[in-house]
Amino acid sequence: MHKYIIRRILQFIPMLFLITIVVFALAKAAPGDVLSGERLDPNIPAEVYDMRREALGLNDHITVQYWNWLSSVATGDLGTSMQYTGRSVAELINARVMNTVYLSLFALGVTLAFAIPIGIYSATRKYSLFDYGATTFAFLGLATPNFFAGLLAIYVFGFMLGWFPSQGTVSTVGLSGMELFLDKLKHLVLPGFTLGLASTASYMRYMRTEILEVKGSDFIRTAKAKGLSNHSVLYKHTLRNALLPIITLLGLEFGTLLSGAIITERVFSYPGLGQLFLTSVQNRDYPVIMAINLILAITILIGNLLADIFYAVVDPRIRYD
Amino acid sequence: MKLSKFWLMLVLSLSLMLILVACGGDDEDTSAPEDEPEQTDDGTEDDGDDTDADTDADDGDEGEEAGGPQQGGMITAGMYSAPGHQFNPIFYGDAYEANILDFTHESLVTLNENFEYVPSLARDWELNDDQTELTYYLEENVTWHDGTPFTADDVYFTYSSIADGEYVASGGVRIDYVRFLVGYEDYRDGETDTFEGVEVVDEHTVKFHFAEPNVTPEFRTSFPIIPAHVFEGLSVADMVDHPASRNAGEIIGTGPYQLTDMLEGEQYVLTAYDNYWKGSPKLDGITWRVIEQSVMPGMLERGELDMIAEPNGVPAADFERVDGLDNVTTFTTQDFGYQYIGIKHHHRTAEDVENGVVDPNNWVVNEKVQDVRVRQAMMYALDREGIVGGLMNGLGSVLHAPFPEASWAYDESAFTVYEQNVEKANELLDEAGYIDVTGDGYREDPDGNEWTLNLDYPTGNEVRERTAPIIVAEFGEVGIRVDMRQPRDAATHFEIVEDDNTDWDLYLAGWSLATGDPDPAGIWKSDNPFNYLRWNDSTSDELIELAVKAPDAFDLDFRAETYNEWTAYVTEQVPMVFLYSSDNIYAYNSALQDVTHRPTGIYTDSHLWWLDQE
Repeated sequence: MHKYIIRRILQFIPMLFLITIVVFALAKAAPGDVLSGERLDPNIPAEVYDMRREALGLNDHITVQYWNWLSSVATGDLGTSMQYTGRSVAELINARVMNTVYLSLFALGVTLAFAIPIGIYSATRKYSLFDYGATTFAFLGLATPNFFAGLLAIYVFGFMLGWFPSQGTVSTVGLSGMELFLDKLKHLVLPGFTLGLASTASYMRYMRTEILEVKGSDFIRTAKAKGLSNHSVLYKHTLRNALLPIITLLGLEFGTLLSGAIITERVFSYPGLGQLFLTSVQNRDYPVIMAINLILAITILIGNLLADIFYAVVDPRIRYD
Repeated sequence: MKLSKFWLMLVLSLSLMLILVACGGDDEDTSAPEDEPEQTDDGTEDDGDDTDADTDADDGDEGEEAGGPQQGGMITAGMYSAPGHQFNPIFYGDAYEANILDFTHESLVTLNENFEYVPSLARDWELNDDQTELTYYLEENVTWHDGTPFTADDVYFTYSSIADGEYVASGGVRIDYVRFLVGYEDYRDGETDTFEGVEVVDEHTVKFHFAEPNVTPEFRTSFPIIPAHVFEGLSVADMVDHPASRNAGEIIGTGPYQLTDMLEGEQYVLTAYDNYWKGSPKLDGITWRVIEQSVMPGMLERGELDMIAEPNGVPAADFERVDGLDNVTTFTTQDFGYQYIGIKHHHRTAEDVENGVVDPNNWVVNEKVQDVRVRQAMMYALDREGIVGGLMNGLGSVLHAPFPEASWAYDESAFTVYEQNVEKANELLDEAGYIDVTGDGYREDPDGNEWTLNLDYPTGNEVRERTAPIIVAEFGEVGIRVDMRQPRDAATHFEIVEDDNTDWDLYLAGWSLATGDPDPAGIWKSDNPFNYLRWNDSTSDELIELAVKAPDAFDLDFRAETYNEWTAYVTEQVPMVFLYSSDNIYAYNSALQDVTHRPTGIYTDSHLWWLDQE
């Protein structure tokens, strides 16, 4: 097992290297740079922009730029943002990463809290009214665009009922302690549910299908033949096996946790990595694009690794050596 | 058994969440606290011109005596995107930062409603006869937010920092404010330690020396002033990252409000500076919140938001709804951005594009658009009123000249105003020899060859995107065949606008109108890189130069006249098709009083704003 993990981690290195090359090349292939487009101010002479390009190294050959980036990252320096004059990339990410983590975890919690019970219930009462209702809800959820669901939530729960705040992560600056925690929690509710319920639909369907599949297998029949109670068969034998694929899914989802939810963050003015990523791409802010991609790549790789390890822990049939 | 515990936990946590929510519901309305101003005026420090306002400020009790400005209260203002956290005016980059800096920092002079310069930090100024020396007499009772007096040293410090050799490499782009001053090159290259262009005469007198007679000296010296005592001893490169350029509470200006608190990407709290030299602000402060544009009207309606102003204002599509709200006052004025159809008169060679050279002598003529009658026909073919009315709900105006309508340089009687006239357009095209010989409804060029104009446009501005098919249809009406190509994302589009060794004929784009000074050279002079039209016209160039040529141009009337002449020539030659400028729509809580409506916006004299607290 240890050997396996070490081998996997060692594999990360060439993979990350390749990923950075591809992303850098693709990002550079898009025309324009941080100083072009409608950001131009005609009151500023064109030669100043040329001087800025020179200073930012944008006139260097792409391989030189990549090498400069790589060698600074190798020393742990993610570089300086180009769109935000003089701000370090690490600082920009630091200011947002926790917001994204909170939102993603909250949404994940919502997803699991709804998807698993509903999935189980639907599966045990196949073709019941509830099952049909849940299926309808699932497809509605899949079909509703996030921004629409978000705006609807803001309108109903934010404006009409006035239960939850709709914008940002806190209501005023300067809160602390318990007050801050509760305030943040309140601000998480609408974006968290919008994001969480959207993926509830697919998880719920997975859960239902898996349970139905496992229920039909031989070992369940054996368990039933042993005279175990329905309850025990469902929770001890069926559920445990049905959850396995869900774990794989979660491992894959782990990476998207950090990428944030660009649309949802935007609708709720929730300052997270997703928003930062979007503006960086629009403004061709390479250092930020590269840094976020790097973080994403690492979390996805780790997520997959964790899923594999966890799989082995939960499923005794799987052994790595 | 384990699982039943899991269910218990789930139920418990869900119910906990519900309780939290229920508790949280009621303190929602207090988000704009208006109780007790932190510090009531003693009434003694002032000349007593607003003593009646002070007396009723001590309690939340309504000020019975109607009329007089009341002290206290916070307002919440919204913008759609977060500033980039560079709050040093010499380095700031985006419109959202500018939005904060408008309240915290001030310049020596500022623009009035006719775009003329009027006193601000300088109470008066004097120009010598050949306009090479500008002497400012500074206000004497101005203090920085930390209490230190404002002096001529701060002015010197600001301009010498911009002139510093490290300035551009550190991220600064505003050298236009120093490069016309004496000794700029020497100071930049480190050959001297004193910047001769700005001379400190005494504590409250500062003299600017221009290398050559300058036609726009006030404009060139209208940059916001930064505090010398805060940054003294730092290299310019270190200033970018210094806490005093970055952190709330440490950013020091002379403006009516100070940035005291912030939460990245969300909230920016401006607190009134009680010792502001024009008088203590009536409001306690302004909280800027970053909000999503589509929920803005709802927030205004619910009073969660008190103001929406720069840089985007209320979108035209929401105007009716916002204007209909009882608790909201709106103000519309011409936006200084405008949209146009660019005509590529010439293209650069691949070699020049490669080397970044903009030399009119090397340009390749674009024969398709050389006949002036063709270009005039385009003007006549378009129903620009229809675009403004149909796509923008009338919240905009057809643009005739590249100056703000309120500017002294704008005179509608001086130039041709085009209105849609299909007959005239057809006539002009016939006259120019562009005739439909194949009978397919589209004209061929005078040699009988196919004549198609390519139109490229960017995404990102919805109204602009929607004008593209209208242009194609209306040009088609008069027989001009337009090939409307796939739109590109803005960054890509503008890259190609610039690197133009392409087959482009027409493109959509926007510029901003010059507000500080109307001199159009930046975009219109033939050899300027921003002359994306690649329009090479000696008459236009001569007029542009004449309008800023000393000593005639010292006279504002002479400049205005020259610009009228230039505009008349431009409207006749149609180097580009001016489309429209949209309206800037500002909206604010009707309880907010004494907001000044200016063509330049509503931020003037924000220290006088007060909240009617019934």
